[in-house]
Amino acid sequence: MELDQMEVNSSVEQEVTSPETKPYLTALIGWSLQAIEVAARMERPFVVVGPPEFESYAEKHEIGFVGWDFNKLNEGSDQLYKKLKALGVEVAIPLYEECVEWAGALNARFRNEPRVFNRSLLLRDKGMMKRKAQIAGIKVGVFEEAHNKEDIVRFLRRVNDALLKIEGDVMDPIHVKPLDKAGSVGHMAIRTVDEIEEIDDNAFPLLMESHLDGQEFSVEAFIHKGKVQFLNITEYVRLGYSNFVPASPSLMEKRPQIVEAVQQLVDAFEIEYGVIHPEYFITPNGTLHFGEVAARVPGGHIFELIERAYGFSAYEAQILCSDPKTTQEELDEFFPSPYDYKGYAGCLMVHPQKDYVNDLEVPDELEQHGYFEKHDLFTPAQGKVAQRIGFGNHYGTIFFFGEESDEMRHLLKEYEEYDFYV
Amino acid sequence: MPQSTGVIVERFEKALDDLDQAASFVKSKYQTDVYQEANRLIEMENGLEHLFGHADRFEQAGVFQDGPWESADKLQPPLVAGSLRAKGLPMIIEVLSDLRMLAIAEGKATNPTVSKEMAEDFLNEVMVLNLDILFPDASESSRVEDNENSEKAQKLFEFLIQHLSSKALVKTLIEEIDRLTAQRPIMIKRIVSMIQTAKKMTDSESDPEDQAALQKYIAALEGPSPLSHKYKELSEYRANLKELERNDLISESVSLAKSMRTTGLVAPHHATLIRFLSKRMPGLLTYALALNSKGLANLEENEELVQQMIKASIFPATRQAIYGLALMLERGVLSHSPVPPGLRRLVELDIRPEVRKNLNKAVQTGEGLTANSILLAGTIQVLGQPLGVGQGFNPTCQAARGISLWAQHAPGFLLEIIPRAARDGDIDFMFEGQAIHSENLTGGLAPNLHTELDPVSLVLVPHLDRIYSEMMSRVALRGDDGHRWVNPAFYGNWVQKGFNSAFDPLTGYVMDYQGFVKLFYATHHPDFNDDYELIYPNPVGIFITNVHGKLLGLHAISITRIAQDPSGEYRVYFYNPNNDGSQNWGQSIEPSVQENGEEEGESSLPFHEFTSRLYAFHYNPYEQGDAYAVDSHIVQSIYELAKESWGRDYTWV
Repeated sequence: MELDQMEVNSSVEQEVTSPETKPYLTALIGWSLQAIEVAARMERPFVVVGPPEFESYAEKHEIGFVGWDFNKLNEGSDQLYKKLKALGVEVAIPLYEECVEWAGALNARFRNEPRVFNRSLLLRDKGMMKRKAQIAGIKVGVFEEAHNKEDIVRFLRRVNDALLKIEGDVMDPIHVKPLDKAGSVGHMAIRTVDEIEEIDDNAFPLLMESHLDGQEFSVEAFIHKGKVQFLNITEYVRLGYSNFVPASPSLMEKRPQIVEAVQQLVDAFEIEYGVIHPEYFITPNGTLHFGEVAARVPGGHIFELIERAYGFSAYEAQILCSDPKTTQEELDEFFPSPYDYKGYAGCLMVHPQKDYVNDLEVPDELEQHGYFEKHDLFTPAQGKVAQRIGFGNHYGTIFFFGEESDEMRHLLKEYEEYDFYV
Repeated sequence: MPQSTGVIVERFEKALDDLDQAASFVKSKYQTDVYQEANRLIEMENGLEHLFGHADRFEQAGVFQDGPWESADKLQPPLVAGSLRAKGLPMIIEVLSDLRMLAIAEGKATNPTVSKEMAEDFLNEVMVLNLDILFPDASESSRVEDNENSEKAQKLFEFLIQHLSSKALVKTLIEEIDRLTAQRPIMIKRIVSMIQTAKKMTDSESDPEDQAALQKYIAALEGPSPLSHKYKELSEYRANLKELERNDLISESVSLAKSMRTTGLVAPHHATLIRFLSKRMPGLLTYALALNSKGLANLEENEELVQQMIKASIFPATRQAIYGLALMLERGVLSHSPVPPGLRRLVELDIRPEVRKNLNKAVQTGEGLTANSILLAGTIQVLGQPLGVGQGFNPTCQAARGISLWAQHAPGFLLEIIPRAARDGDIDFMFEGQAIHSENLTGGLAPNLHTELDPVSLVLVPHLDRIYSEMMSRVALRGDDGHRWVNPAFYGNWVQKGFNSAFDPLTGYVMDYQGFVKLFYATHHPDFNDDYELIYPNPVGIFITNVHGKLLGLHAISITRIAQDPSGEYRVYFYNPNNDGSQNWGQSIEPSVQENGEEEGESSLPFHEFTSRLYAFHYNPYEQGDAYAVDSHIVQSIYELAKESWGRDYTWV
């Protein structure tokens, strides 16, 4: 990275550029073709801040691009702001988990509100996040940060003591996960002391929390000026494997309660702009437990499912909501009623259920099912299957769309068991 | 109920439209859907027609953008088959890409870098290279290789063939047949399948010149004489032979022999005729074999043995051995005293059951041949056509080179090890005072031998391969190229003890390449080597490079002679055991197999071009010429050829 050069250039340009650049640029932080496509379609001037390896691709296709290594934090980090400012950027939108604090830092500078950065940090530390929620009176499980294996042993024992388990009882599991990784990356359920030994010493610090029973679901809330503009509920059939949009009627019944909880969360975290993706557990008696929240594009193809079910581009919604300059009228016109969906859009993320795969077999009755839309599975190059990291590197996805949530749930459950690889 | 083609076609069109409309940077997002629907169409009846209907749009829409198939002008015909055999995406995109080429060839689409003619040439070459897919052979079903996709590939090729001008394709095929037959391989399966393909593709509208050229080959396989043409059925033919007068028999013999001599291919009737003559009129055998005077003398000298061999080994199924027999007589091998008893021994040899099984598999079933007949016929072929020995689909060039060398210069030795392997299941070689027995060894380069081989190779290669590997591993740590010691021990004392290699096998450094080149000139080039003639084939190592000059690997060949070609240029003539002696090695270095003074089975290259691919050779340290006299510009030009091809994979010091 030619930082010195950049500094010289940007300082020169900064003098030339007036503070109220119009039209201003939007910076997409991270690399997502879907987001780039939408930004281009919206005819919105934009620049992509992404890992340097995408530079040649961006150049080939004439995409405004600034290469940046998000893992490198040092005094040079300020250069990114200077460079973007010089280009006329006023809004930064995070696309991946690892970009959230970068976008936060940039927006804090663009808006001259240092606290924006601190808020974004809150979203990047699962321990802080839980604590903040707890302080705000949001119901969370019991949690603690672990710095070593003894912490985990103690936590496992204490939780089970509290549950009045005695020697010989099967212990209630606890969950541990890294403080700052997306979704399920590094997540482990611990049931015995022996399992704790398997944790790598480099994995610490970790967040530990008690197990929460109940149905898990996620919410994608589009926030503008601190107000929830649109709220989608995504029903998880099996976390990391299958989900659909919108939630089935039984969960939709609880929608008013969920909307209230999300607004409470937004207020507590002082989130003003953009999209948040919190996960909740709901117990049969209707109690909501807050799991965690992210402020980026959710996984599980949820944005695509929202577009299929509601007919608007969630990427576009994210861009609109991230920009303080968007007007309420624009937003009102943009978002449909949350009850105005065309059908249920679901997807199944496929990962081979064996270690070695030879061939792909997609059953005809699946392809001929009325709900089947498309899939992107291809016969793999013969070989060993990579271990799944989080729920990210699935081999492909099958998309469904239909009128009945029961049938959707049934389909997703049925084919989740199915091994498409032989 | 299967989905109707119509639905899928619609979905494909929608996906293609979406891709077409997508911005250039986001094509990859939409390509997936196009590939998915294309995959469904490929598997459907008439699916290729539907795909082809849109092929003119593929490139424009971005079907190939940002992928290996993006630039049509950079595509390589030899890579097509591999992609088609691969599962999943490569197969799908390859099919789409070939349909794009067809659209260009038919003038439906244009491409700034690929003309109509170039596209046509590309597809013709693809066809010729993939005859095995186009016309799969039932006997190959035993192949271990999983060829699930070959059905799809076959469908594609059949589709392409319907659209391509068969004229150009037939022409290319005939050129290919000319080139392959010129090398006179023992194994002719590939040639036969090409002739059959060409035959299927010609019709009344074909070029008369091509028809005539092809007719020569078809007749050679099916009956080149009026009588054999008339009586396709061998029993009828045989019955009719009995009715012929001596003169008619002579003309029948002459016409069959002429066909065999011009094509290297033998008609089944020829075997019937030879057996008939051998019994009734052995005096006419010389006409049926079209022997020269040396061959005739050898026949007369060994008449009884020849008749015995014909009786035991010449059948319609082993008809190619007739060509071997004719050449063997002309080479005078039977005058070599160990040969007649060696051959007689094979007739009654007690062949091991597993060897017998392999030999029987080598001919089609239902012929009623004994393993001994097959082995004897194969031995006759090897002795008659030593340069026709091929390694088949195995990485066993050394073993093939050995068989070829012994067939030329040590037939007695060859006839010694064949029974050892076939009867005893063991061959032993002495190496530096110690005996190496193949029966004690496992592994080798080809533990799973591909059995499409001539009978002698089938019997010997498993043993020779293991012995060679064992010798190489015994010298592996000596810090010099092991061939220095192994080649003389393995091939015999005909191999010279001097040895030079272009690179250090431990470090991979190329050192003193100029010296290496000069020594090769001083020991081999008649202008510099004090006129010492090459007496025995020299087993040398070469770098095999592809059409772009990129190193593919090391390969073993033998220099057979060095001589001036008809135009007066010095060429290296060599034997390449890889069954196809004229591949393109890049930098316009393309070995020729005919028209430059090659004998049957030889390849050749101008001396300096050959040198640029050489990496190791043997020489006689007492027969060196004047290395210092070699022109520096010759050395320099070879240095450049080497450095810019295989040399890119080595460190030069």
